[in-house]
Amino acid sequence: MRVSEQQLRNWMAGGLAGDASAHARLLHALVPLLRAFYRRRVQDGDGIEDLVQEVLIAVHVRRATYDSDRPFTAWLFAIARYKMIDHFRRVGRHDPVEDLSDILVTEGFEDASGARLDVSRLLDTLPPKQAAAIRATRLDGLSVAEAADRENIGESDIKISVHRGLKALAKRIKGDVK
Amino acid sequence: MTTEELIADMSRTVRPVRRHAVAIRIAAGMALGGVGTVLLILAWLGINPDLGLAMRGYAFWMKWIYTISLALCAVAATIHLARPDSRRVGWLWIMAVPALLLAVIGLIEMAQAPSTQWLPMWLGVSWKSCSANVFLLSIPIFAGLLWSFRELAPTRLRLAGATAGLAAGAWAATLYCLHCPEVSAIFVLTWYSLGIGLTALLGSVIGPRLLRW
Repeated sequence: MRVSEQQLRNWMAGGLAGDASAHARLLHALVPLLRAFYRRRVQDGDGIEDLVQEVLIAVHVRRATYDSDRPFTAWLFAIARYKMIDHFRRVGRHDPVEDLSDILVTEGFEDASGARLDVSRLLDTLPPKQAAAIRATRLDGLSVAEAADRENIGESDIKISVHRGLKALAKRIKGDVK
Repeated sequence: MTTEELIADMSRTVRPVRRHAVAIRIAAGMALGGVGTVLLILAWLGINPDLGLAMRGYAFWMKWIYTISLALCAVAATIHLARPDSRRVGWLWIMAVPALLLAVIGLIEMAQAPSTQWLPMWLGVSWKSCSANVFLLSIPIFAGLLWSFRELAPTRLRLAGATAGLAAGAWAATLYCLHCPEVSAIFVLTWYSLGIGLTALLGSVIGPRLLRW
């Protein structure tokens, strides 16, 4: 099971208070996260372990820059992103790198991006049919046929409503985050 | 070294970190540099012999309020940019407020003086050296900030270099007031700001190189 933002945060708080074992646990837990992060984004396999180690060293040496009121993973991936850009610069690659908020979504820590994504509040902003279709298929876990049955509308109508609704939501969330 | 060994190594001694460690570290770097700047003033420029008198007049405090308010804004931005996940610093434009206030004071002073006095007010006795002095005096403070940054994690290096330069320049200008006998607002607005601006420019140029980690 992957480690949660809250768990990482607790270990970090322990390390900042001088607890060496919490600090060791934190660093251990970061290794798979960072490897996955770089595997997704960096092509050359050799460079990845070096990058992971560089981030671990930075997490250790520069841990005073973590503000315990703010999400830990946002801080971690900001460091990882910085090290990746530095690496690309050294090897002469000039790819655009995603923003921190996009990284947090890709890495499954979007709740740490600071935006309060209150799903039901967001759904309320959609037309009722779209909201109902999304609730049925995405939150309640119904199939399209079951949802069509429950909401008393056609299957293709469900599909279109979900599609349009999600598109509108994505637009709204992006607007919120920026 | 394997990653396992590295982690074991780093977990051996874990020093506790104080809550406001970033601000403390930056303040310590500036204070260390500030000592250097004061020594430089004492050894090279000397303290204004009429300083006691000047401190009873309004011009001295006008200068200090101007440079100290710029310094505080720059320090706040520098502390902010020392964190990797720093957000925008658009609020830094608030620094225009002290500059505008000083400009208003300058206009009032000019309105009260005959126009033949305007040029002497603007150039003072030291316009040729003022900006250069502020610039040179900022170097120890900037060096102190570079030391601070060794345990910090800026990710926008050009901007962090510029705000560090701005802070160093504004503190240097504040200390330079101990020497400088000038009293007119337009003098300060022009030549002090030029010196501070040059330091910020230097910071933005060398920041990406010196702040890399």
